[in-house]
Amino acid sequence: MHFYFWREAWRSFRHHQGLAWTAMISLTATLLLCGVFLLLTHNAESAVRFIGDRREMVVYLRDEVTPERRDALIARLTELYGTATYVSAEQAWEEFSQQIGDPQLLQAVDQNPLPASLRVRLRPELLNYPAMEQAAKQVSQFPEVEDVRYGGEWVRRLDELQATLQRGALVVGVVVALAMLLILYNIIRLTVIARRREVEIMIRLGASDRFIATPFTIEAVGQTLLSAVAALALLFALEQLTVQQVVRVSFLPPTWIAAFLGGAALLAWAAASLALARALRSAGP
Amino acid sequence: MITFEHVSKRYGERLALDAVSWHMDEGECVVFVGPSGAGKTTLLRLITHETAPTSGTVTIGTFRGARLPRRKRALLRRTLGIIYEDFRLLNDRTVFENVALAVRITGHFADAEVVPRTLYALEEVGLQQKQGAFPSELSAGEKQRAAIARAIVNRPAVVLADEPTGALEPASAREIVALLRRIHEEGAALVTVTTRPEVGEALGGRVLHLGEGRLPADAGAVRSPYAPPEAGDATAPAAPVPGA
Repeated sequence: MHFYFWREAWRSFRHHQGLAWTAMISLTATLLLCGVFLLLTHNAESAVRFIGDRREMVVYLRDEVTPERRDALIARLTELYGTATYVSAEQAWEEFSQQIGDPQLLQAVDQNPLPASLRVRLRPELLNYPAMEQAAKQVSQFPEVEDVRYGGEWVRRLDELQATLQRGALVVGVVVALAMLLILYNIIRLTVIARRREVEIMIRLGASDRFIATPFTIEAVGQTLLSAVAALALLFALEQLTVQQVVRVSFLPPTWIAAFLGGAALLAWAAASLALARALRSAGP
Repeated sequence: MITFEHVSKRYGERLALDAVSWHMDEGECVVFVGPSGAGKTTLLRLITHETAPTSGTVTIGTFRGARLPRRKRALLRRTLGIIYEDFRLLNDRTVFENVALAVRITGHFADAEVVPRTLYALEEVGLQQKQGAFPSELSAGEKQRAAIARAIVNRPAVVLADEPTGALEPASAREIVALLRRIHEEGAALVTVTTRPEVGEALGGRVLHLGEGRLPADAGAVRSPYAPPEAGDATAPAAPVPGA
């Protein structure tokens, strides 16, 4: 793209600063709203992922299982569901004792009542309620297995929370995208109206739609990118000043920032194309 | 080069042009003279496809049809040089930028192309000293010169002038007519519409009287004295400049 178009975009920005700043303030507010939700979603998803990583299935073994059959079972479970680790009855008692903390409470127990178990760290594709439920049913069919526990109810709630967050992000994303389209569409139409005489003269001189539209598009995308950067800066300041005081949150990762900027630029381009297609058709003979 | 075949144009109840037929060849000069409301500007707007005929056919070079698609209209206008009575200069750009815009519209962006062509056009109209001025700093005559420079900068085959002296005082009008005459003598076809018969005489081209949207029946028959010479043609006679 020739430098001429960039210069024209800058000229338009300077000559219609009122419109340009109105657009940028509106866009910054809209993008900030989007950014706040993205930040919340990112941190909530990180938390869910962290909890999700700890989802494991505990497989209790029958007392009479021999070491050979136990090892065969470990190999089979590892092959089918994820890494299986053996926890003997003694190790289980020791962990239980550490969790209780008070040895006097345990003195009443004559012998270790806890069974040996296998802890299966499930593969990522099994970290959802239906898959875990099915895996648990299958594992309970093995003759060596006494019982299977996997915390079904909270796994289901965790999945629901994650789905709600994703739906919320989608809804906010769509609302923000529509708001941005509307703002940019109207600002560009107003800019074309403000420069109607210039556009008409160019049409009469034989300028193509692309020739006329390119500076407007550059201006719209530029304003949006500046607004997006401003929104990110405000979001960062907001996170540092307020949220960090209450709870530890992490800022958006670089890939999310890139997607945020890229998405904003893409929306600006789409809005500019839509607005200009209509505005130019009605602008000149 | 330009042919009107039984072209009519109606605006609501008003008939602006009534079955007008005329033709001009490359390098010709045709001046339409008529009072206000005679259909002169409508005729120019039909050539530039700013409006479509109600009936009949307009042909400009290879462009033929009642209403060209938007992209072709732009292409057509790039082959024409258009001068408006009210100049239609961009007020926020210098004279140089106004003229250079017409070059860039044709797809030439490099300074190596734009600058010499623009300066040459400004030199032709005697405005090289005012290239950095804005339209608001120019007299009416200078604005019209700038508009002419913009019209000729791409060396169009046809220059259209809509009442080119309409907004000018006599001395400036004489200069503009002399300039248009020179442009025509250098080879461009010239179509001028004016209310002033003396402009037609001064330009020395074929003068067609347009009255109430009608033309004389033999409008396509007469040749311009500045048309490309045929065998035996004498050098074109000079016509008096109005007010001279």
